[in-house]
Amino acid sequence: MSDKKNPLATLSRRGLLKGVGAVGALPLLNACGAMGQQGGGDARVVVIGGGFGGATAAKYLKRGNPNLEVTLVEPNEVFYTCPFSNLYLGGLREMNEIAHNYNELREVYGVQVIHQTAQDVDPVNHTVVLGDGTTLIYDKLIMSPGIDFRWNELEGYDEAAPQYAPHAWQAGEQTRLLRRQLEDMDDGGVFVLVAPANPFRCPPGPYERASMVAHYFSQHKPNSKVLILDAKDNFSKQGLFTAGWNEFYGDRIEWVGLSNDGRVTRVDAIRREVETEFGTLHQADVLNVVPPQKAGFIAERAGLTDDSGWVPVNPATFESTQAEDIFVVGDATIAAPMPKSGFSASSQGKVAAAAIVAQVAGETPPPAYFTNTCYSLIAPDYGISVAGIYRTTSDGEVETTSSGLSPSEADASTRALEAQYARGWYEAMAQDAWGTRY
Amino acid sequence: MRKLQSLLALSLLALLAPAALADGSGWERHAAVAEAVGEATPQLGQLRMQMPSVSEDGSAVPLELSIDHPMSADEYIESIRVFATKNPNAEVVDFFLTPQMGRPEVSTRVRVNESQTLYAVAHSSTGEVYVASADIRITVGGCLMASDDDIAEFGQPRVAIPRSPSAGEPGEVRTLVTHPMETGLREGPDGEILPRRLLDTLVVEYEGDTVLTVRMHTAVSENPYMRFFMAPEESGQAVFRWTEEDSGDTVEEQATFNLS
Repeated sequence: MSDKKNPLATLSRRGLLKGVGAVGALPLLNACGAMGQQGGGDARVVVIGGGFGGATAAKYLKRGNPNLEVTLVEPNEVFYTCPFSNLYLGGLREMNEIAHNYNELREVYGVQVIHQTAQDVDPVNHTVVLGDGTTLIYDKLIMSPGIDFRWNELEGYDEAAPQYAPHAWQAGEQTRLLRRQLEDMDDGGVFVLVAPANPFRCPPGPYERASMVAHYFSQHKPNSKVLILDAKDNFSKQGLFTAGWNEFYGDRIEWVGLSNDGRVTRVDAIRREVETEFGTLHQADVLNVVPPQKAGFIAERAGLTDDSGWVPVNPATFESTQAEDIFVVGDATIAAPMPKSGFSASSQGKVAAAAIVAQVAGETPPPAYFTNTCYSLIAPDYGISVAGIYRTTSDGEVETTSSGLSPSEADASTRALEAQYARGWYEAMAQDAWGTRY
Repeated sequence: MRKLQSLLALSLLALLAPAALADGSGWERHAAVAEAVGEATPQLGQLRMQMPSVSEDGSAVPLELSIDHPMSADEYIESIRVFATKNPNAEVVDFFLTPQMGRPEVSTRVRVNESQTLYAVAHSSTGEVYVASADIRITVGGCLMASDDDIAEFGQPRVAIPRSPSAGEPGEVRTLVTHPMETGLREGPDGEILPRRLLDTLVVEYEGDTVLTVRMHTAVSENPYMRFFMAPEESGQAVFRWTEEDSGDTVEEQATFNLS
């Protein structure tokens, strides 16, 4: 957090920053209209990862201080979101409707976007080495590295397994593969979804996916079933999902929890067979394994993860507790009770951006507030949601200040409205992060 | 400049904060732990107690205990007891081990009411005492909502033993039984306290000899899960018996070890 590298902190910048308050929850208000200014720069900020956390952070850095030199490192020219990728599996959306690019960041905000992987970080010398050998120097670094998988922690689920039994937990080719497998499956087949223990990316994700696959089956393969084998006894929005499943899908979805021998301990991806803790074998026609996870590779490489495999951060700023001048946001961090969601990542990205803008100006970062909203679709016109507001306590922990969930008893019009809100929610998030217009 | 210094101080604090010691020190401040330790001076840092440092579901937190220690007839770990000092009842679970286990390693799932330090106390047959601790932070997950629809009944015993066990080799055994483990501290939907209903013990026998006894308290999670090791020398029959407190009702399951 040392400010030794920003001799350019000036009084005028200080003046600009006055009155910036709840930055995580609200857009920065002092953008000054100046965009795309390049040049000498107040400080060099590198952002690794162009997902919800990284793209949002890059934009809000430039909005907070157009004189920052912001470089975004993201291997893909097109980014597919995990949120709403289940709708693609359900046949409600196409891939191009969950695709985003970096044109707005580049052209409107003046962010330099480099399509490379970040291969190494040297926290002492403040450098990032890219796949093509380029070295970037940073004064401040934001990482939004997402998740990586713990290959073989689930016996048999190794790097080769996803081509047979897709995870589809990083959206893109894997999502397409899973949909092709569902389309190729004969009617009367069983789709088995293996759900992991906490913590993992997108807590309601597996259950929305089960819903969307059941919806697809109800339209195209009416004799097919969904079986969820879960390493947990409780899951996100469980009561709402269960009620929705009963209403729409009846016996089509079966959920087997931890206490009912739902935890899978061995996977044979090629034969699409799984074995549970107490020796039950399940044969799938399409097998979808959501494997155990950890922070994205580059966070581990930079030495930012702890024994848990995730990244501890100071929740006032999302600065790493392991290295100075590195901020980590999104799924890779230990931010509970905030869930690992795209919305959380985006909110954390704003807090980190505001903290950097303040630090560069020699100011104390503003108090951090965060928001999260997760909508899930159970059927095309049946949506449910959970929302939370969070802050950082004086003990340096994230605390829920208020939260809410869809009512357990509600009429069809309420659920239909929530399904509509879900679409608005997605589009607003995508516009905020990547400037995608619908 | 003053501002910069305070920022620096803050960042140093942030760096130091997570380094809280979890080697068992501080045990003497908790009466229940101190009583379990007894008169001996315990050794710290040898017994390992593993739990996630943050859990979004305090109703079933994985707990693993292990120690590098012989399990021979004349020198073995004979008990490991676990305490959660900020739970309504400090006692969590007690394992009484025997040399027939072959390896002093056990796991279960426990209830942790709030963020706190848990302690474990192990006694060896030769009078050594080992203490370990684990710090855990409990948060209510932002996306979690428990469903209380179905109350578990006592039954459905499940046992998994090694597929091809070898004589004298410690092999992993897992057990699960459905049971509500109702603490007598919790209100039901009608606002009335739900009556206490707990399992008392799980006893594991091999050809008539007791291999392991687990005594369960209020903090053992619903549908108790136990993982441990068995190292039988000859092929034979294992019996797993769960006994309910007060009613004395039992549920039994058997498994045959065919040693190679």
